[in-house]
Amino acid sequence: MIGQSRVAELEMPGAAVEGVSSRPAQSYWNESWERIRANRVGLAAGILILVFALIAIAAPLFSALLTHFLPQTIDLDVTFHPPGKPNWLGTDELGRDTLTRLIWGGRVTLGVAFLTVAISLTVGSYVGMLAGYYGKWVDDILMRLVDTVLAIPAIFLFILMSILFRPNPITLAIIIASVGWGGVARLVRGEVLSVKERDFILATRSIGARDFRLMLRHLLPNVLPVLIVSASLGVGQIILIEAALDFLGLGIQPPTPSWGNMLTNAESYFFHSFWLVIWPGIAIFATVLASNIFGNAIRDAFDPRLKS
Amino acid sequence: MLAKYVARRFLASLVVVLGVTLITLVLMDRTRGTYVPGIDLNPALRPEDIARLRADLGLDRPFYIWYITWIWGVVHGDFGRSMIDGSTVMSHILDRLPNTLELTGTAILIGVLLAIPLGIVGALRRGSKADHTMTVVSVAGFAVPQFWMGLILILIFSVTLEQHGLPWLPSSGAFSAVNGGDIIDRIEHLVLPATVLSFFYISTWSRFIRSSMLEVLSQDYIRTARAKGMSDRRVVYLHGLRNALIPLITLVGLELPGLVSGGLVVEVVFGWPGIGKLAFERALQYDYTTVMGVTFFATLLVIAGNLIADLLYGVFDPRIRYA
Amino acid sequence: MTQPLLEVQDLRTVFTTKDGIVKAVDGVSFELLPGETLGIVGESGCGKSVTALSIMRLQRPGKILGGKVMFKGQDLTRVSEYEMREVRGKEIAMIFQDPMTSLNPVFRVGWQVAEPNRIHQGWDAKKAMTSAVSMLQRVGIPSAASRARDYPHQFSGGMRQRAMIAMGLTTTPQVLIADEPTTALDVTIQAQILDLLRTVNKDFGTATILITHNLGVVAGMCERVIVMYAGKIVEAGPTKDVFANPKHPYTWSLLKSIPRLDEDRHEPLKPIEGLPPSLVDLPSGCAFHPRCSFKVERCSRDVPALLRVGETQLAACWVTQAGTELKGA
Ligand SMILES: Nc1ncnc2c1ncn2[C@@H]1O[C@H](COP(=O)(O)OP(=O)(O)OP(=O)(O)O)[C@@H](O)[C@H]1O
Ligand SMILES: [Mg+2]
Repeated sequence: MIGQSRVAELEMPGAAVEGVSSRPAQSYWNESWERIRANRVGLAAGILILVFALIAIAAPLFSALLTHFLPQTIDLDVTFHPPGKPNWLGTDELGRDTLTRLIWGGRVTLGVAFLTVAISLTVGSYVGMLAGYYGKWVDDILMRLVDTVLAIPAIFLFILMSILFRPNPITLAIIIASVGWGGVARLVRGEVLSVKERDFILATRSIGARDFRLMLRHLLPNVLPVLIVSASLGVGQIILIEAALDFLGLGIQPPTPSWGNMLTNAESYFFHSFWLVIWPGIAIFATVLASNIFGNAIRDAFDPRLKS
Repeated sequence: MLAKYVARRFLASLVVVLGVTLITLVLMDRTRGTYVPGIDLNPALRPEDIARLRADLGLDRPFYIWYITWIWGVVHGDFGRSMIDGSTVMSHILDRLPNTLELTGTAILIGVLLAIPLGIVGALRRGSKADHTMTVVSVAGFAVPQFWMGLILILIFSVTLEQHGLPWLPSSGAFSAVNGGDIIDRIEHLVLPATVLSFFYISTWSRFIRSSMLEVLSQDYIRTARAKGMSDRRVVYLHGLRNALIPLITLVGLELPGLVSGGLVVEVVFGWPGIGKLAFERALQYDYTTVMGVTFFATLLVIAGNLIADLLYGVFDPRIRYA
Repeated sequence: MTQPLLEVQDLRTVFTTKDGIVKAVDGVSFELLPGETLGIVGESGCGKSVTALSIMRLQRPGKILGGKVMFKGQDLTRVSEYEMREVRGKEIAMIFQDPMTSLNPVFRVGWQVAEPNRIHQGWDAKKAMTSAVSMLQRVGIPSAASRARDYPHQFSGGMRQRAMIAMGLTTTPQVLIADEPTTALDVTIQAQILDLLRTVNKDFGTATILITHNLGVVAGMCERVIVMYAGKIVEAGPTKDVFANPKHPYTWSLLKSIPRLDEDRHEPLKPIEGLPPSLVDLPSGCAFHPRCSFKVERCSRDVPALLRVGETQLAACWVTQAGTELKGA
């Protein structure tokens, strides 16, 4: 009979094969891409956003060839025209064509949203990488700053900054990004901390690569999935924030149309002209919905563990 | 141990409070130009009048001096007076606070009370029709702009119902100015804004509970519980829910600052006389002291919310120890 | 012959996955005698746990497609959920592989150990706690009365597994199913827990099904052993006969692949070549034939039944059933 003390050496073959093997990076991206393609609803949402973006880019074309109106053309003879011909989605209090304004408004709204995401990601990932990579007092200072920024009730900050900057699309993007970067920085810092201790980074460090190159070359590809996920989930939130600011009169200023500020005006007239409040709302809703769904699809694709 | 933890948290919070108020002040200082809060700039005012008015309000001093003075006041419990109407900032806040608490408190309460059962049902009947319906509704809840939902509800329940001579709901204010203010009247005013706010909370939290419940139900200790021969009810509601609710504490804790700022847009849409609306209106008029006071207050709530969430976490999750 | 306590007949459990139907347990039959310790061994994924869980009807999301689990004259696959609950934790207790995750982190250990008696005997909290504390003491938790007030994370791995065992035993069940009770533990702790299980088996007379990866554990603990491969039993018999003279090439190579105390320790280990088959898409014939060094032509064609081979053993193998001895290579 075999003694108990020998138990450890009698492990069956195959018992130990359960360990996770590290996958090569290439197949990770391929697998993620496969998972996105397999997610029909997510893919459809992504395509919808793409279509909206294309329409926004081609707005001048649409108003020249399709609607035959310009967004700021005032025609006081046809105020509050209900949806029909030639104003398919009706007109507003100044006789401006709602469809045309919607298309041009999308240009502003989507433009601001994408720009905001770009700024938040750039600043946030830079700060996060610095903090995570250097640690110590750099980390302390940067992260206290992030805490502070995130502790201000965002809406107050937006209000104050909007008063300061007189928003146009670019300043508005900066204003919204001034809060958005904080979350990204936290995320990237966390990721950097976990990536930092893996061997290949240490190996590179011992070769003596310069810090900055090291960060960009090695950390960035590793935090990229996190960034992509947070970007795709962020677009919808930013559109909602931007719309709210526009609505409060702190965002894009009339007469430039945006989905949000079209609703500011609509508030005064919607009891007799309901379409003024319906269409821009639906445009916001559909876009945010699509980007949330797409964002979730991206998240599931990049991190199957997180799938709910 | 706990005391030390709280003390350290308190110090870190102090830094944040100072940072937030300073940022707020600098932003306002940059913005104001030669504006005198509460006074319309009219040509009849000579430059020396403006200078005198500004000096009266202490605005001629550099912002850091102003800030130190302000902090000094705050330390002594004095938030100063509004630069617009001269009444104390504290009285403004105390005046608006009950309204805000009424609205957001109701919304959060409804949110929690509905989200928990909905989330549990979603997790237990995963993939069922009910689950799919709830998924769709809550995904929509994330995507619908609150102010737009507010407008649509006003359009339907105030405007259209009134136009058809049906009973309708008020769309503005916390109570009727005339013959109003009784409990029924207040509830009528509360229905629409609370619906908008709680819809958002329900969407977020029910999803959250659902996934947290699914996660918990797949844990080994749930299998252990079943192997002990207890009923499904006991497994789910005693062993499962207790664990699934822990993360919700954080989430609700994080909403505490929302008590003040979270309802701002809704307060504006429904003309609800709350703190958020106060801050919004006063910021537009450069009422420094009021805005600083509200910001300070809101930041305190953020910090308190985080702290309370963490402490409750410790109460509900024995694994957490404060070091 | 003694009447078996538990009799599993042709049990079949499947999981429906998006890759296909997983036949996790595919026609398993065995019996458990009163007071004995029965070992179940096999590679990871061969269906040991699912077999155990199916006996308790805890195999969800898997489905029991057929077979019987006879216990005290009842077929457990057919009794109502309510009756099944009366069996679980009262007549048949189960302890799991990972004591770290198998205790609920938010309840005190003593409370969890006391819970079975509160559910099944309707005892009040105080009475159940008293008995839980004495049970914790019996399984070797020092100063059990105060440790009972600890939360699981305050226990070490070995102590948690002791607590799990105490939890299983408070209701003095007739059957204890231990699913890899020591896999997650340190070597020295492993030996202690196994000692405890042996003592429990002796003192309480609880019949034990011991599931393990570890042939050494089987050798030290079990009178009889069942060897599983790809959802089926490939060999069964008294432990010493199976170890001395395996009648299935799979058992044979398992034994071959571990170092023997009586042999030169420097001889390199020979793992079994190849991987266990996917349970969705099994090889034709005998599932082991692609990895088998004794295979004959028939092995890839027909599925062998589990039949008596030799005096005391059962084996599902065309080669040994035809009388060939497993030797060499
Ligand atoms: N919930 C499930 N869904 C799908 N397949 C499952 C599920 N649980 C188990 N299986 C499959 O059933 C088969 C048997 O699993 P089981 O857990 O019984 O293996 P095991 O012999 O206990 O292995 P181990 O030694 O690793 O514990 C495996 O192939 C596994 O993939
Ligand atoms: Mg197992």
